Amino acid sequence: MTRILGFLALAVFILLPLTQAVILSFTVTLPKPGAEPGEIALANYLAVLADPELRAAIGNSITYVLVNVALCLAVGLPAAYALARYSFIGDRHFLLLILVFRVTPPVVLSLPIFILFSHLGLVNSPLGIALVHCLFNLPVTIWILESFIRSVPREYDETVFLDGWSFPAFFFRFLIPQIAPGLGVAAFFCFIFSWVEVVFARILTVTAGKPITMAINAMFGFQTDIGPVMAMTCLSLVPGIAMIWIFRNHLARGFILRS
Amino acid sequence: MPPHDNRAWLLLLPALALLAVVGLLPLLAVVNYGFHDIFSLADIHWVGVEWFADILGSDRFLASLGRSLLFAGLVLAIQIPLGLVIARFLITCGRGAVWGLMLCAIPLVVPWNMIPMLWLGLIDKDTGLLGPAVLATGFDYKATAVHTWALLLAVDTWHWIGLVVVLAYAGLSAIPPAYRQAAAIDGASRWAIFRHIELPRITRALGIVLLLRFVDSFMIYTEAFAINAGGPHDATRFLSIELGEEIKGFSYGQAAARATLYFLIVLAAVWAFVVAMRREPSA
Repeated sequence: MTRILGFLALAVFILLPLTQAVILSFTVTLPKPGAEPGEIALANYLAVLADPELRAAIGNSITYVLVNVALCLAVGLPAAYALARYSFIGDRHFLLLILVFRVTPPVVLSLPIFILFSHLGLVNSPLGIALVHCLFNLPVTIWILESFIRSVPREYDETVFLDGWSFPAFFFRFLIPQIAPGLGVAAFFCFIFSWVEVVFARILTVTAGKPITMAINAMFGFQTDIGPVMAMTCLSLVPGIAMIWIFRNHLARGFILRS
Repeated sequence: MPPHDNRAWLLLLPALALLAVVGLLPLLAVVNYGFHDIFSLADIHWVGVEWFADILGSDRFLASLGRSLLFAGLVLAIQIPLGLVIARFLITCGRGAVWGLMLCAIPLVVPWNMIPMLWLGLIDKDTGLLGPAVLATGFDYKATAVHTWALLLAVDTWHWIGLVVVLAYAGLSAIPPAYRQAAAIDGASRWAIFRHIELPRITRALGIVLLLRFVDSFMIYTEAFAINAGGPHDATRFLSIELGEEIKGFSYGQAAARATLYFLIVLAAVWAFVVAMRREPSA
């Protein structure tokens, strides 16, 4: 009984603000032709999906998150392998370095990142955001992959090498299939940290390439129509909730820092 | 012990190159700007440690530092125990646990700039679901400092409790059930099981949560700015809000000096954390 009550209390706390958003997203909030305020309708969603800028924002967000996840996995996997399988001069310093970058507040680095990226022509492009989000996603990727590689016995690697496979062949044909769930968990955490980030996303998109977060910001004005804003917010939750559902059985792996 | 082989650095090279571009270069630039007066990128003057002396000598900085520390302390005091309670509760739920984890993870995928909007909508006097309760209790987050703090803490807890729960649950579920059963047969209380069986085995999992929650709440910006922009009467003027003001006011040199100081504070926290972690026997 207390168990059910506890679950209910948790559910109410988590879902209450979202319930409000969902209700508003289906409510007509400003008078429009053919609809009175207060009516329940799909008008907000239709308005959002009909707006080319908002559609582009969804595309931009998906692009930069996918690029970011791909970058983190491609760069993080070799590094995680090195840390899991070898000891070498400076390995602990490297772990300290990635920990420091993981926790450095974005607002500290936002100004020079903007100047540097405008020199490199990466402002207003999803690639710029994808790159800079590696700052906090790459460390998490390395921690997660390292723990998964560690759980594969070292003898596994040695057997493959004894069979005459080259190092790259080992990586792609043996290691990656072995730790596939780890790649999924890493991709999940990269996604949730990158999709919702706003400080870098704001400073790196001045005139174009705006992701969902900034497109929602731009919808606030002198007389904000809150219905479409909430519709857009609800739409922005869909990929994240889908990720949670897909990885529900791996969520509990979490990540543990190594130092 | 893993074999010693310095060629492993070759595998780290891509990661290092990436971090150098997006992390190290900007960091060096911030420190460098902090010693200059910057009108535009073409008009830069060396001012030495003037900014640092200004900031460290001002009462406002110390007051903001105090507020940020207090906020981070309250966040940890609320979220770590609460997250542990929820995670322990979920461990006993068997197959239902996965639903609890999914539920707690939902706020993590809400865009940060919308989180304050959701909550302000929720407590709106006229249209919010909690509007009647707000009217009945006289809750006024705009004018009453305690209420602003309470709202910020509630919003932050809502946003981040999922991370604490997921990582604490990960640590707890890695403990073999036999440990708990053996202790229970010996007649250990639930508290004793937690204190002597579970807590020592999840310190490493909790370590990263503590550090992440400390740094993120210490540097809270998006929520604090959107909810009351530092008010009422500077009662929620945190460190990051001052930095944001300077960047918006184009005083880049001063902002860079301030950013350098904040980075040093974060660095000190990381260092203390790593020293503490290395004392722990590795799990």
